[in-house]
Amino acid sequence: MSESASRRMSESAISDKRLAIIGLGNPLRGDDGVGCRMIEELARRELPPGVQVLDGGAVGLGLLNLMEGWERVVIVDAAEMGRRSGEFVRFTPADVRLASASDRPSTGSGHRFSLHHAGLSEALALADALDQPLPEMVIFGVQPAGVGWGEGLSPAVEAALPALADAVLASAVCSRRREEIIGENYAQDSGD
Amino acid sequence: MTTLKIDVHHVTRVEGHGNIVVDTRNGEIKECRFEVVEAPRFFEAFVRGRPYYELSHITSRICGICSVGHATASLRATEKALGVEPPEQTVLLRKLLFHGEIIDSHVLHTYYLVAPDFLGVGSVIPLAATHREVVERALRVKKLSGDLCAMIGGRHTHPVAMAVGGFTHTPTEGELREMQARLVDARADMDETVALFATLPWPDFERETEYVSLKKDDEYAFIDGTVVTSDGFSYPIEDYRKVTNEECVPFSTAKWTHHNRESYMVGALARVNNNFDQLHPRAQEAAGKLGLKPICYNPFLNSAAQVVEMVHCVEDSIRISDELLTRGIQPEQPPKIEVEAGEGIGSCDVPRGILFHNYVYDEDGICVKANCIIPTNQNMANLNHDMQALVPQIMDKPQDEIRLTLEMLVRAYDPCISCSAHFLTVEFV
Repeated sequence: MSESASRRMSESAISDKRLAIIGLGNPLRGDDGVGCRMIEELARRELPPGVQVLDGGAVGLGLLNLMEGWERVVIVDAAEMGRRSGEFVRFTPADVRLASASDRPSTGSGHRFSLHHAGLSEALALADALDQPLPEMVIFGVQPAGVGWGEGLSPAVEAALPALADAVLASAVCSRRREEIIGENYAQDSGD
Repeated sequence: MTTLKIDVHHVTRVEGHGNIVVDTRNGEIKECRFEVVEAPRFFEAFVRGRPYYELSHITSRICGICSVGHATASLRATEKALGVEPPEQTVLLRKLLFHGEIIDSHVLHTYYLVAPDFLGVGSVIPLAATHREVVERALRVKKLSGDLCAMIGGRHTHPVAMAVGGFTHTPTEGELREMQARLVDARADMDETVALFATLPWPDFERETEYVSLKKDDEYAFIDGTVVTSDGFSYPIEDYRKVTNEECVPFSTAKWTHHNRESYMVGALARVNNNFDQLHPRAQEAAGKLGLKPICYNPFLNSAAQVVEMVHCVEDSIRISDELLTRGIQPEQPPKIEVEAGEGIGSCDVPRGILFHNYVYDEDGICVKANCIIPTNQNMANLNHDMQALVPQIMDKPQDEIRLTLEMLVRAYDPCISCSAHFLTVEFV
């Protein structure tokens, strides 16, 4: 963990909470760590005002707490999408079906929820079951080459990092611009 | 029923991959075991060749649920190797942070993984529909413990502010005061939690075994102390190998451990059994309501012991906050370390039981050798012996009920077989 990344994370707790870029995963499990690695990369860059980066790691269901209070979140996570390793896709929860532990093969007893797999999909399912409001959300899924034990990203995912960082930041900037435009329109309307 | 065949692949609501295999013919057990299919000996490879100040951060990534526990055991091992003694305030802040993680882990396990078995639903998701207030309370407690960890550790999970010899960040008195008020408010949620779990019909099963935990003279031990067992043994942490006696077994990638008997148990039940008198009076009272009295030989009550520890940690966190506020919080400057070659062993009693980190450093402060013994591995042999004792007692019940009871036994141990990748599986619609 770089010092700048830690500093930004502690700052994030106190500054305005417009947009959070949250990286998820375990850096000890190969490409599963791409979300955390992305946060380290972004922490070295100049971020637009109101944008913070957070390394969620293996936060599990605690993601619900982490997302609380933010207007928007951009999540970066490894995702099995049947694509070529290193390819990444920008989507929203509405665009996809996120397989959760409950979709995985039954063990016979019907008890299928596991914190073992508790990640984004379980957190969203729980929020949905409780009608808990969530921030507007964009997800960047990155196709991993491997998620076995071991540090470091595969060459394919490593090579994708610069383009991924640009895309994540562009996405953050885009949603900020849209917010400003909506803000201006609103100001004009109310002025009329 | 005289012939029974149960094969549960990847028991759910446990951390990691484990299978239950039971095969009986004409009332005779042919096979009965819990096998672990994923528990690589990866630990040493991650830390070897790394400088001392990186180890707690690397090891805190082993697990998203025990990240403070791993970081603390790691720091204690490094501090002992390098001859660093953390100041009193650091020790207090570490205890408070540790309590946060104990509450966080126990609320997840008891509410999300154990309660659904008793409340007749498959998981916490349908539980949100049938027992909404229960799930909301769990989330509330989880938020409190997560915020407590973030206040001291710098973020909810994988603490960044913990360093060798001190913290790189300290909470303000205002933050601490606000947190203390929330902890006081959480007493109501603790009372409700005890009331809920007191109604659950724990399976009636006992098997005498040995309980291993840390022990301290002056407090309920989570960090440091001596290693004690319910059979009357006591060892300095440095002699941990005399307790763990690791051995390989053919059907499991986890090494088994044994001490005075064929197996021993670690975790909340072991701690409550060994250190009951040091629990906060409110926690002792909770134990009474939950029917938990030392020495308790029913492994299913490990979950009840976790509830007791949540109560204890809330109360002790209020007390530690008082102590910190009375002293006044000083900014911390982790000391400049005089690097020297050495070996250190750190031990903490993390949510799932006693944990050991053992490092050897060279003269440049680079780790050249490491060993880590996690609680779940220490429980594997005991879990298997429990299963072998339990199956004959329930063999005549319907197969589904047997399967569920065995799964509940596995879950009672709260096993963390390996921390896993949490990547998404996505299907575009």
